[in-house]
Amino acid sequence: MKTLRRIGLYAALTIAALTFIYPFLWMASATFKPLAEVGTLALFPTHATLDNYRTMWARAPFGRALINSLIVASTITIAVLVFGSITAYAMARLRFRGRPALNAATMGVLLVPGQLTLIPLYTLIVQLGWIDTYAALIVPYLFNATAILMMRQFFLQIPQSLIDSARMDGMGEMRILFTIFWPLSKPVLSIVAIFTFMGSWNEVLWPLLVVREQHLMTLPQLLTVFSLGGGAGSIGVSLASAMVLVVPVVIAYAFLQRNFIESMAGSGVKG
Amino acid sequence: MAAPYAAFLLVFAAYPILFALVLVFLKWDLVTTPVFAGADNMRMLATDSRFWRAVANTFVFLSIHLPLQVASALMLALALNRPLAFRSFWRAAFFLPVVISGAVVAILWSNLYATDVGLINGVLVRIGLSPVPWLTNPSTAMPAIAAMVTWKNVGFYVIIYLAGLQYIPRSCKEAIEIEGATPWQRFRYLTLPLLLPQTILVVTLSTINGFQLFIEPYVMTGGGPLRRTYSIVLYLYTNAFAYQKMGYAATIGVALALIIGSVVFIQRRVIGNAEAL
Amino acid sequence: MPSVHFEHVSKRFGATTVVEDFNLDVAEGELLVLVGGSGSGKTTILRMLAGLEEVTEGTIRIDERDVTALAPRDRDVAMVFQDYGLYPHMTVRENLSLGLRLRKVARTEIERRVKWAADMLRLEPLLDRKPKQLSGGQQQRVAMGRAMVREPLVFLFDEPLSNLDAGLRAQMRIEIGGLQRRLKTTTVYVTHDQVEAMTLGDRIVVLADGRIQQVGKPIELYRAPVNRFVAGFVGTPPMNFVDGLLASENGGVQFNADGVNFEMLSSRMPAAMPAGPVTLGIRPEDMEVDVLDSGSAASASGGVAGRVVLVERLGGTSHIHFDAGQTRMLASVTNERLPGVGDAINVRLNSERAHLFVDDRRVSSAS
Repeated sequence: MKTLRRIGLYAALTIAALTFIYPFLWMASATFKPLAEVGTLALFPTHATLDNYRTMWARAPFGRALINSLIVASTITIAVLVFGSITAYAMARLRFRGRPALNAATMGVLLVPGQLTLIPLYTLIVQLGWIDTYAALIVPYLFNATAILMMRQFFLQIPQSLIDSARMDGMGEMRILFTIFWPLSKPVLSIVAIFTFMGSWNEVLWPLLVVREQHLMTLPQLLTVFSLGGGAGSIGVSLASAMVLVVPVVIAYAFLQRNFIESMAGSGVKG
Repeated sequence: MAAPYAAFLLVFAAYPILFALVLVFLKWDLVTTPVFAGADNMRMLATDSRFWRAVANTFVFLSIHLPLQVASALMLALALNRPLAFRSFWRAAFFLPVVISGAVVAILWSNLYATDVGLINGVLVRIGLSPVPWLTNPSTAMPAIAAMVTWKNVGFYVIIYLAGLQYIPRSCKEAIEIEGATPWQRFRYLTLPLLLPQTILVVTLSTINGFQLFIEPYVMTGGGPLRRTYSIVLYLYTNAFAYQKMGYAATIGVALALIIGSVVFIQRRVIGNAEAL
Repeated sequence: MPSVHFEHVSKRFGATTVVEDFNLDVAEGELLVLVGGSGSGKTTILRMLAGLEEVTEGTIRIDERDVTALAPRDRDVAMVFQDYGLYPHMTVRENLSLGLRLRKVARTEIERRVKWAADMLRLEPLLDRKPKQLSGGQQQRVAMGRAMVREPLVFLFDEPLSNLDAGLRAQMRIEIGGLQRRLKTTTVYVTHDQVEAMTLGDRIVVLADGRIQQVGKPIELYRAPVNRFVAGFVGTPPMNFVDGLLASENGGVQFNADGVNFEMLSSRMPAAMPAGPVTLGIRPEDMEVDVLDSGSAASASGGVAGRVVLVERLGGTSHIHFDAGQTRMLASVTNERLPGVGDAINVRLNSERAHLFVDDRRVSSAS
C-alpha cells in the first residue's frame, strides 16, 4: 500500500515537472522546424532545419544585442560587487556620521516601487543626453540596495579581530576589504553576482525606454521588438531569437541550479 | 568610503522620487518647456476610464493569480518536503521558469496560447475539445495571463514554503499524529497555521508583482482585447513613450505606488488578523 | 490498564541492525524504564511502540491487540517528547484539548478533563499563554497534561527531562513518579540518565547496541548486575574495575593485579575457578579508607595501598581518587578526617560486595 502511494507521488511530481520543462522543449524544437511543421505537437521535427536561425540572424542584429547584453550585465555585476562591497564594508565596519541615515535610506529605497521613479529617471537620462548610450543602461544600476544590504549583513558577522590585526599590520581599508573580507564572503558574493547578473540580463522595460537604436538594444529588448514588430514573420524565427537569450541561462542553470535558487530566492528577486 | 553611494542615492533615488512628485503638477513633453498644470493631472487621472480599466484588470488578474499561486506553491512544497529520490531535480524543474526572462516566457506562451497553431489548443483538439481563443477573447485573456504568471513564479514560492516547512518541529508533527490527526487535520491545525508568515509573504510579493505587470500584456496582447489586459504600467509606459506626456505618466507612477502601498497594508492586516500568531 | 508485549521485535535500517530480537512484557500499571547510551536502541523501541517507526520484524501488542501495523493515531497511546512538541501557535488550553477536539469529544467533557489535568499539574494560571511564554519546566508539564488528558492506554516518555537543568530535573522526577502512581497508567520511559532510571522505574531495562543487557528491579541491577556493562552503568559514581588474575593462595582465592591484591570470599566464588584473566569490580561506596599517619605501612589488614590523587568534598560524602599501583580508583567515604593529595592511604574493600567478571559476565554470586 505504501509503495503504491509512493509511485503515485512520483508520477504526480513527474507530470508537474514536465509542465514546467515541456514548454521550453517545445520551444526549442519549434525553432528547428520548417514553417509547415511549426504548430505541430511533435517534439522532433521531421525535417530539422536551421533556417529559422539563419533568418533571425539576418534580419536583426542579434549578435550585437548579445554583446550589448553581455557588456551591460557584466559591467553592472562587477560594479555592484565592487562598489557595493565597498559601501557595505563602510556601513558595517566603519563609523561615520550619517551611517544610520544611510542605512534607513537604503531600506527605504527598497520599499519604493520602481514605477514611481521610472519617469523622472527617464527625464534625467534625456536631459543628460544619454539616450541611446551604454551609460543610460548601466549608470542607474551601479549601486544596488538589496546587494548592499545583503553584503552588509554578512560583513557584520566577520570577527573584529581580523580587522584589528590587519590594521595593526598597516593595511588600508580597501586592502582589508579585498584581501580579507572578499575571500571570506564567497557565499554572499556569488549570490549577489547571480541575482544582479540575471536581473540585468532579463531587464526589458528600462532598455525599451532609453534605447531606440537597434544596434544598441539589449537581447531581451531586441527580441521583444523583433517579435512584436513583425520582423520575425513566423513563430519559428521569433522563438529562435528567444533561444539566444534562454540557452546560455539554461546551461548556466543546469550546472549551478543550487546557486541560482539560493540566490534568487534568498534575495527576494524574481527573474 | 560610503560617499559615492550617498551621492548615487541622492541622484538616482532621492531626486527621482522628489521629482516624481513635482512632475505630477507639470505638463511636459520633454521637448518644450514644462508647464505648470496644478491639479490637472490628478483630476484627469481620477476620471480617466483607461486608468481605472487598468486598475480593474489588475484586480481581475489578482483574483485568479493569488489563490492559484498560494495553492500550487503550497501543494508542490508539501509534495517536495520529504526524502525523495531526485529531489533537487524536481526543485530545479519547478524553479526553471523563474530564471527565464519574462519577455521570453511571454513570447513562448503567446505561441502556446495561439488560437490556431498553439500547443494548448492542439492538445485540446487532440482530446476532442474545441479550441479556445485564449488571448483574443476578452473574458479569457487576463485569466490566461494570470495562469501563465502563476506558472512562471510558482517555483520561487515553493522555495519559500519549503523553507517555512523546515521550521515546523518534528516533534509537533509526530505529536499531532499520535494525538489522532488525519493527514488533512494535520495540515489544517498544524501545517497551515505555522506557514502563515510564508503565506503572507507569498500573497504580498505576488500582489506587488501583479501591480507591476508590464511585459506580459505588452508582448502577448498589447493591452487588448477590448483593453481587458491593459495593465497600469503598460499605460504609464504608453503615456511616456508614445504620447510624450511626462507629467501624466509620473502621476500614474505615483498613483501606482500609493495603490500598492495601501493594498499590501490592508492585506497584511487582514491575513495577519485571521490567525494572530 | 493494559500490559504491553514486545515479541521478537527487530529494527533494521538497510544493513544496520538497531534493535535485535527485543522481547519484553510490561506489566499493567508499571513504570518501565528503558535506559542506555546513545545508539542503544532505547528510543527506537519507544518509537516503534508509538507507531512512529516501522517494525522490521516481530510483533507489538497492547493487551491482546496486535498494534504492529497500526498508525499512531489508532493505538491510543500518548507521548511526551524531549523538546515537548507543543504546538507553538496554540495556547496551553488549546494544546491540551486538541487531541480531544480532533476526536470530536463533547465540549463539556473536554473542559472537564482539561481542568482536571490543569489542576493536577498546576497549569491553571497558564492556560491562556502560548508555549514560548512558558519556562522549560512549565512546558514540560503542559506536555504531560496533553498526554494525560487523552486518558490513553499507555504513556510514552522520550527523555522528557533532558532539556531541563539539574535542580528542575530532580523536582520533575518526583512529580512524574507521583503522577504515574496516582494515574496507574502503564508507562514506558526512555532515558540515558541512570539516576532517573533508578529512582523512577518499577523495573529497568538496560540496553546496549540494540540488545537487552538486563531487566529487573533497580536494586537487582545494583546488587546483581549480569555483566560488566550493567555493573558499570548503574550506580553513581561508577564501579571500579581492575583487570587481573586469580590464584589459590593460603587456602583461599586471591585476586592479583599490579598494586591491588585482594582475597575474595570463597563462598561467593564459582565452583570452577577461572583460569584466565578476570576483572574485579568494586563500588566506590563499598570501600573504606584509612588515613595513614606518615611512616606506618599500608596493607596492614589486607587492604590496598593507595596514594591520593584528588579529594572531592561533597559535604557528608567525599570522593577520594587514588592510585593503587598502576590502577586509578575511586572510593566514596563518609570519613570526618580526610587525607590530602599525595598522602598514603589504606583502602579496605568489602569482600561481601566485590564482583568478579570473566569475559564481561559476572561469575561471582550475587551480593
